[in-house]
Amino acid sequence: MPAFRSEHVIPGQPLVEMHHVARRFIKRRDRHRSFQDRFIRLLSRRNVEHEEFWPLRDVSLVLRPGESLGVVGPNGAGKSTLLKLVTGILPPTSGDLVVNGRVCSLLELGAGFQPDLTGRENIYLNGSIYGLTRAEMNARVDRIVDFAELGDFIDTPVKHYSSGMYVRLGFAVAINTDPDLLLVDEVLAVGDASFQHKCLAAIQDYRAAGGTLLLVSHDLNAIQSTCTHAVWLEHGLLQAEGAPIDVVMAYLAEMARKEDVARSEREGAGGVAEPVMPGRWGNGAIRITRRVMG
Amino acid sequence: MWARLREIWRYRELIRNLVVSELKTRYKNSVFGFFWSLLNPLGMMLVFTFVFGFLTPNVQIERYPLFLLTGLLPWNYFSASVQGGLHSVVANSNLVKKVYFPRGVLPIATVLSQLINFLLAFIVLFGALLIFQRQFSPWLWTLPFVILIQTVFTIGVALTLSTLNVFYRDTAMIMDVVMLGWFFLTPVFYSAGILPNSVTIAGITFDPQRLLYIVNPMASLINIYRDLLYWGYRTDIDFFVRTAITALLVFGFGFWFFVRYSERFGEEL
Repeated sequence: MPAFRSEHVIPGQPLVEMHHVARRFIKRRDRHRSFQDRFIRLLSRRNVEHEEFWPLRDVSLVLRPGESLGVVGPNGAGKSTLLKLVTGILPPTSGDLVVNGRVCSLLELGAGFQPDLTGRENIYLNGSIYGLTRAEMNARVDRIVDFAELGDFIDTPVKHYSSGMYVRLGFAVAINTDPDLLLVDEVLAVGDASFQHKCLAAIQDYRAAGGTLLLVSHDLNAIQSTCTHAVWLEHGLLQAEGAPIDVVMAYLAEMARKEDVARSEREGAGGVAEPVMPGRWGNGAIRITRRVMG
Repeated sequence: MWARLREIWRYRELIRNLVVSELKTRYKNSVFGFFWSLLNPLGMMLVFTFVFGFLTPNVQIERYPLFLLTGLLPWNYFSASVQGGLHSVVANSNLVKKVYFPRGVLPIATVLSQLINFLLAFIVLFGALLIFQRQFSPWLWTLPFVILIQTVFTIGVALTLSTLNVFYRDTAMIMDVVMLGWFFLTPVFYSAGILPNSVTIAGITFDPQRLLYIVNPMASLINIYRDLLYWGYRTDIDFFVRTAITALLVFGFGFWFFVRYSERFGEEL
């Protein structure tokens, strides 16, 4: 069995364990799903082309309770696929994946809201999508209502909500389900600045209370400040793993190198080689002269 | 399989919420609201009684409104569940692609919301019973079991078709026609007794009456409903057991089929 999931955390066991996990996609246009398609294919006697791509080729990682793992990598590196595998939306094509404990993702806030139901009714509906019972939701509903800061709107159908209110309610439910593992994709662009701050504070509280976090972000500062360790995912493989600072630096160095290559290609074969300063990162195009700790 | 069933049981709260929200949204912005669950069968009863009671008087069945309702209500429950269940996964693709939960709750919730509708429509049926019925079956208490058997059967069909519809949207189109044919091949508005005892097509002789009950579980179920509610006696126990076993087999297949392919819903939708 390639994937094993259990709702409960097993003491002493990691929450997520991946061994040589790979995931394949077959490009849609090559799938002959309708009879019409099949018929045309039959007539044209074309061979079935399997144009496949592998967002994840060989990924092994372990996430233990209380840890916080940051994932960095360029667009299309397979980060979202990785999260979908952990949530259980997609199964791995090969390799072993074990997930213990209840996973809650902040990928799609408010997915599953029913427009005609009120905010309060949607809290219960959304909670049950995350697998909580009515009693568990009763214990949380006040906390969620307080957190979402929707005032009287809580008893209004959510179709009348602004998009900001929508995500605020979604976030309030998700963070208050007390998951064993929280998945966060990208910086939370939720509501206004003060609510964003509240969201980040809530994630910090969750971490402080021993919660486990899997954070995918292009915000390398967030990775360094929140994560206990990090991985750099690219071309479906882990390019680096370890302390966030090391991974981020390696990633940045590679990004800068690529940029240099691209620039020297633009400038022709006789491009000027940039001076590389020993013991320093980068090409010297920008220099940090001062930093202020907030 | 057992683990998957247990997982669905753990998500029963979600099923409950989906049923409630489906019922709430079904009759929103309508003046009569949930009364439509009663008005709809009442209206259909009037139409059928008019057509088959007055326009075609040669096939008279006594107490026709009651006869019709005992077939039509279970049929409507089945038909609406199949049509709704068929679309349940595709219609919730947004949710399926973004959150993990046992996908089986979607068709199950659709069928159960139709079950609530069916139970409400029983108010109309019991009204008709009070008007037309002369004797009540001492076996009336078995009715909940009959409804349970039908529900199990219907969920099995809904699971199978909702899976197929994810991979081939043709399923919905095909089922439009199939359900029409199925309706006419089920003794809903006629009695199976009017069918001939032997028919020869292309040199093969068969008995449509017997065949109806062998290959069409809905015919068997409606037969049991009629025995209990219209004729007012009990149904043969072996007939009852055979129908129950068929329903369980259909459910077993549907659940296995659904579980086997539901892993791929995330990429297919």
